[in-house]
Amino acid sequence: MPPTIDRRGAALRGPSAVDVALEVNGERVVVHVPPRRTLLDALREQLGLTGTKKVCDEGTCGACTVLVDGRPVYSCLTLAIACENRRVETIEGLAKDGELHPVQRAFVDTDAFQCGFCTPGQVMSIVALLRTVPQPTEDDVKRAVAGNLCRCGAYPNIVAAGVSAGRRKRT
Amino acid sequence: MNAFSYVRPRTLSDGLRLLRSGASALAGGTDLLGLMKDGLARPELLVDLTGIEGLRGWSRAKGKGLRIGALTPLVELEEAEELHRAMPILRESLRDAATLQLRTMGTVGGNLLQRNRCWYFRDQATACWLKGGTKCFAVEGENRLHAILGAHECVAVAPSDLVPALIAYDAEIALASSRGRRTMKLADLYVAPHGRERREHVLRPGELITEVRVSESALARKGAFQKAMERKAWSFALVSVAAAARIERGVARDVRLVLGGVAPIPWRVVAAERGLEGSGFDEAACAEAADRALQGAAPLRDNGYKLPLARELVRRTLRSLVV
Amino acid sequence: MTRILKSIEEFEGEVSESLVIVDGHDLPPARHDGGSPEIGRSRRRIDATQRVTGRARYTQDLYLAGMLHARILRSPHARARVRRIDTKRAEALPGVRGVLHRFNTPKTPFRGDDVIFREEVRFVGEEVCAVAADDEDTAREALALIEVDYERLPHVVDLEEALGDVAPQLESDGNVSESGSHKRGDTKRALKEADVAVDVTYRTSTQLHNALETHGAVALYDGEMLTVWESTQHVFGVRTGLKNALKLPYSRIRVICDYMGGGFGAKNGVGKYTIVASLFAMRFGKAVRCVLTRDEENLAAGNRSATLQQLRLGAKGGRITAIEHTSWSNSGQGKWIANPTGPTNTLYEVANVNTRSYKVVTNAGSLSAFRAPGYVEGAFALESAIDELAEAAGVDPLTLRRRHAGAGKDPITGNRYSDKHLLECYRIGAKEIGWDRRRAGGTRGSAPHRRRGIGMASQIWGGGGGPPAYATVHVDPDGSVVLTAGTQDIGTGTRTVLAQICADELGVELDDVRVQIGDSAGPFGPMSAGSMTLASVGPAVRLAAHDAREQLLGAAAGVLETPKAELRLEAGAIVSKGARTPLGEVLGKVDNNTVIGKGIRFPNADDLAQKTFSAQFAEVEVDVRTGEIFVERIVAALDVGRIVNPLTAASQVEGGVIQGIGFALSEERIVDRALGRVMSGNLEGYKVPTVKDVPTIVVKFVDRPDRRANNLGAKGLGEPPIIPTAAAIANAVANATGARVRHSPLTRARVLEALALAGIRD
Ligand SMILES: Cc1cc2nc3c(=O)[nH]c(=O)nc-3n(C[C@H](O)[C@H](O)[C@H](O)COP(=O)(O)OP(=O)(O)OC[C@H]3O[C@@H](n4cnc5c(N)ncnc54)[C@H](O)[C@@H]3O)c2cc1C
Ligand code: SF4
Ligand code: FES
Ligand code: FES
Repeated sequence: MPPTIDRRGAALRGPSAVDVALEVNGERVVVHVPPRRTLLDALREQLGLTGTKKVCDEGTCGACTVLVDGRPVYSCLTLAIACENRRVETIEGLAKDGELHPVQRAFVDTDAFQCGFCTPGQVMSIVALLRTVPQPTEDDVKRAVAGNLCRCGAYPNIVAAGVSAGRRKRT
Repeated sequence: MNAFSYVRPRTLSDGLRLLRSGASALAGGTDLLGLMKDGLARPELLVDLTGIEGLRGWSRAKGKGLRIGALTPLVELEEAEELHRAMPILRESLRDAATLQLRTMGTVGGNLLQRNRCWYFRDQATACWLKGGTKCFAVEGENRLHAILGAHECVAVAPSDLVPALIAYDAEIALASSRGRRTMKLADLYVAPHGRERREHVLRPGELITEVRVSESALARKGAFQKAMERKAWSFALVSVAAAARIERGVARDVRLVLGGVAPIPWRVVAAERGLEGSGFDEAACAEAADRALQGAAPLRDNGYKLPLARELVRRTLRSLVV
Repeated sequence: MTRILKSIEEFEGEVSESLVIVDGHDLPPARHDGGSPEIGRSRRRIDATQRVTGRARYTQDLYLAGMLHARILRSPHARARVRRIDTKRAEALPGVRGVLHRFNTPKTPFRGDDVIFREEVRFVGEEVCAVAADDEDTAREALALIEVDYERLPHVVDLEEALGDVAPQLESDGNVSESGSHKRGDTKRALKEADVAVDVTYRTSTQLHNALETHGAVALYDGEMLTVWESTQHVFGVRTGLKNALKLPYSRIRVICDYMGGGFGAKNGVGKYTIVASLFAMRFGKAVRCVLTRDEENLAAGNRSATLQQLRLGAKGGRITAIEHTSWSNSGQGKWIANPTGPTNTLYEVANVNTRSYKVVTNAGSLSAFRAPGYVEGAFALESAIDELAEAAGVDPLTLRRRHAGAGKDPITGNRYSDKHLLECYRIGAKEIGWDRRRAGGTRGSAPHRRRGIGMASQIWGGGGGPPAYATVHVDPDGSVVLTAGTQDIGTGTRTVLAQICADELGVELDDVRVQIGDSAGPFGPMSAGSMTLASVGPAVRLAAHDAREQLLGAAAGVLETPKAELRLEAGAIVSKGARTPLGEVLGKVDNNTVIGKGIRFPNADDLAQKTFSAQFAEVEVDVRTGEIFVERIVAALDVGRIVNPLTAASQVEGGVIQGIGFALSEERIVDRALGRVMSGNLEGYKVPTVKDVPTIVVKFVDRPDRRANNLGAKGLGEPPIIPTAAAIANAVANATGARVRHSPLTRARVLEALALAGIRD
């Protein structure tokens, strides 16, 4: 169905499914979704990127954190359609050629997770931090992940991972 | 979430035109989408404001005060160094607001217009007074987070951290609708729900906030902000206090004192401000102002603790303006 | 020779006897000389890469072709009779495949009931109806179209209201029933003769598990086999639950849990959502997914009961002479309660003890085990009361505990402890926190109106594990190893430590071991709960690896034509007179042969008590004007036998402490009494700790193998670290301020009230 054109030209889209073009982990993809589809559901259900987790679906846990245009956001409170032509980065896009991203490596080395369910979100938050603060302090890391709950209580190691990933990047 | 159509206009006039009845403005979506998921808002059309030129960012022209676009993400107010120098209370009030992700998504306009967090309100299954029902469930129910001051039929509290800080600087908002433009004091945006007025603010249908303005003279004030939470982060305020004053040779002028989390609206306490006018924020004056700020408080079953907490936070915030 | 032996096991405070089939002999205790290549070494998790790349597949992440989505309609009433259900409109919705409810669902026995949809629903959130549809949105929309005619009945949700006379009585014998008692000596007399006594009441609020992955299952039926993926702590428990509910033989049910996002005790067995998914799967021959939302999780997936506890303690001559402890637990609609008087019965050597615990039924969600159920609540009360007694008696609280913590025997059974180093925990912890800096009345804090204090508390818990548990070790001709064991990794690092044990005993590199767990198609093993995984499964793995190694050496002896006694297996190579031949090379000569080692968990000695012990020390500051608590440091000193992997063990302890901090300071289920509804049913209202709530945590292990416990010398570590935290914090707050808060969590309201009561303002 072609989009209804509002009288003066702004295109109304939906309520049924429409094609939405996204850049996900460096690749252009088109998903066919209704406007009400969240970015989180589009990633998980349309694109099979299930690394990003759904825990609360209402902005109260952080497990769904992804980067949009390089900034950390909750994908459960973001509409897929609102990310049209934006850059979306998820946990699946971090490792390159089988090499873990420094933040992932730091998580492995410091045992910064237990069940691992919050981990993709924590990692993305720290990845975003390191882009603006390459060598973060403990407080910087805490500010970055204060919006990522970990029920297993891996926090001390998550903070250590963030700090050490910063140091690692320098070398 | 109900099904809806979506549009992302490029210009303000397009945006205003699209905001007909049944449509809602979408900024960061952090509040609106939450409400929609809970069935508390069911717009047919979402007008995404984030594509509109000119509503994002801030500026400070010499002598003309500060202007902050309504679509500016909160995180920008928090991080911009220049802004921090001009108005440090912005960073102070936002630092403990929500989380970095929410501040990255959430905008100034959305923060001003976010709805209350009363857990009966947010529970779809409870048809409370504010949602058109007959009864406020919090008054006799679970009310540890509710109002101790200024409530009528609804005892939910004003949730924003930013708003008290802005009101302490006499911020104004610029509004636009397809019928024209107007400005008003930010403080006047809010109403305590009562009688037929079952909502928290007086924005007209189809109207948008375009800008928040702080005058040059207000920027000369010194400000301070404190917030008490249930845990060390990611908590709405149990009580928050914003205070500001121009301090000339140790003497306070234009004192402002605004509390969040204690009343259905941002709770400005003019009586306490007057008492402080001309003082040096000495211990006695601050303590007296704290008492005045809580005058008339009527705690419910479980929120009596907010009284001593607010009193102490007021005292401390005021004192911190001089020490 | 196959024979039957008796074994004594403890699970979550309950001691029981069982019979075990055994064959062959157990191994002697493993060496503990620092020479082990793997055991006792910090190792990264072997599944770490999967977890940090998002490739680890959790139940929630399974999207199978043609899968249907099931959702559950839940009662909005705390108590009501379901009179009529009209699903016509829901079934007419395009995409809806079917509905289940009490009028169309066959008998499916579930935890003592014979149906999953009861005629009388008894809490807000109880299952009333289920819908299967082509997608999640349709299923959700269908729920809104179902009309249920409820006859509302009087309800009660609050523990103390349920104890009163006016509350509706929910069971034929009332709301209250005794669930356990213990008596030794004569507390009445001892209290009468005491120099000092305290008589205090404590309360603990309901804590919600809130594992990040909600409960959920994906079921698939192919006409022969029912395969269920479930986020569970016990694949075999789910299998048993399904067998009972669906009357299928074990051989036709397979339960898989590859990765799971936390359980903390709430995922110990089958859920109604599992049965719903399975019934739909069997009806439609398709995969069916039923995953709970966060709200559902907090209504209907279990909790740690709220408690009301009364304690009377007496001391004479600087020693505790009597403890009376009566406890009431809000079990909701649960069929049991955990025992808060457990620590009182067993932690200290006190001559006169009299305890009683009661289960109180209410119209609230059922309790389920939550990391050291009963003991966390009980320790909060007991260890607070001991401090109150010490203060009244003018004795240092640590000194007072020392006088009673040295006993070598379990006071109930009289059995000797297999090992015990509680006094050593005290010594280590006191030194680390700087107990000698503690002053009665606290010290000045780092800012105006802040007071500083130190407190401590101790802990006892089982953790010895026991049979049955099985493992096999397959060695393939290329020298690679597959370890299969009956267990699952719930985030505790089970895969990794089992691989370490296997590599260590077998003599191969850690990287050579692949671990296959979380699948009921493998050999049986216990639930990952009660701190029993390592102590149950680890010894079986060691035995299986040992068995495989013996066979490998025998085979190598044949291939290399060297006497077996001259061969060793080390780091994946056969070593003979200094020459190393990689295992793969040796076995290459007998290609396509498989060596299978087998191991079982041998019984526990029936005359020993296997316990874990620890102490925690907390240093806090309290703002006496705002009631804010700042936990600055927690020191945990633990005696849990041998530590297999210090890195992951420390993580476990930190995690337990942090959940303990949540219990102590901010976590609280809040229920509207009139509506019976959980108001804090999401992660906004229910406050679990964030990164900023976490203090410096120092973890110290005594790290001595418990040689009488099992062939590894290791005991469990899951629950010990959460047990004493809240009490240590409450004691530190009391030390800092002089005000005692007797209700956890210690919210602003409670702290400010206690401070006001004590007249403290600076
Ligand atoms: C878990 C959680 C915790 C939070 N904690 C805090 C906290 O501690 N302190 C705090 O201050 N806030 C807190 N917030 C609130 C958060 O700051 C607001 O949700 C956010 O600022 C809203 O901005 P938005 O752009 O996302 O608004 P949206 O959700 O997009 O919009 C909110 C409302 O405003 C309307 N609207 C938006 N922009 C305009 C405009 N320019 N003109 C007219 N109408 C407009 C929308 O139509 C909608 O009705 C929290 C939120 C969540 C979800
Ligand atoms: S406080 Fe207001 S929003 Fe909350 S239940 Fe009462 S009327 Fe509804
Ligand atoms: S799932 Fe998005 S914040 Fe919880
Ligand atoms: S590792 Fe389990 S929630 Fe963070």
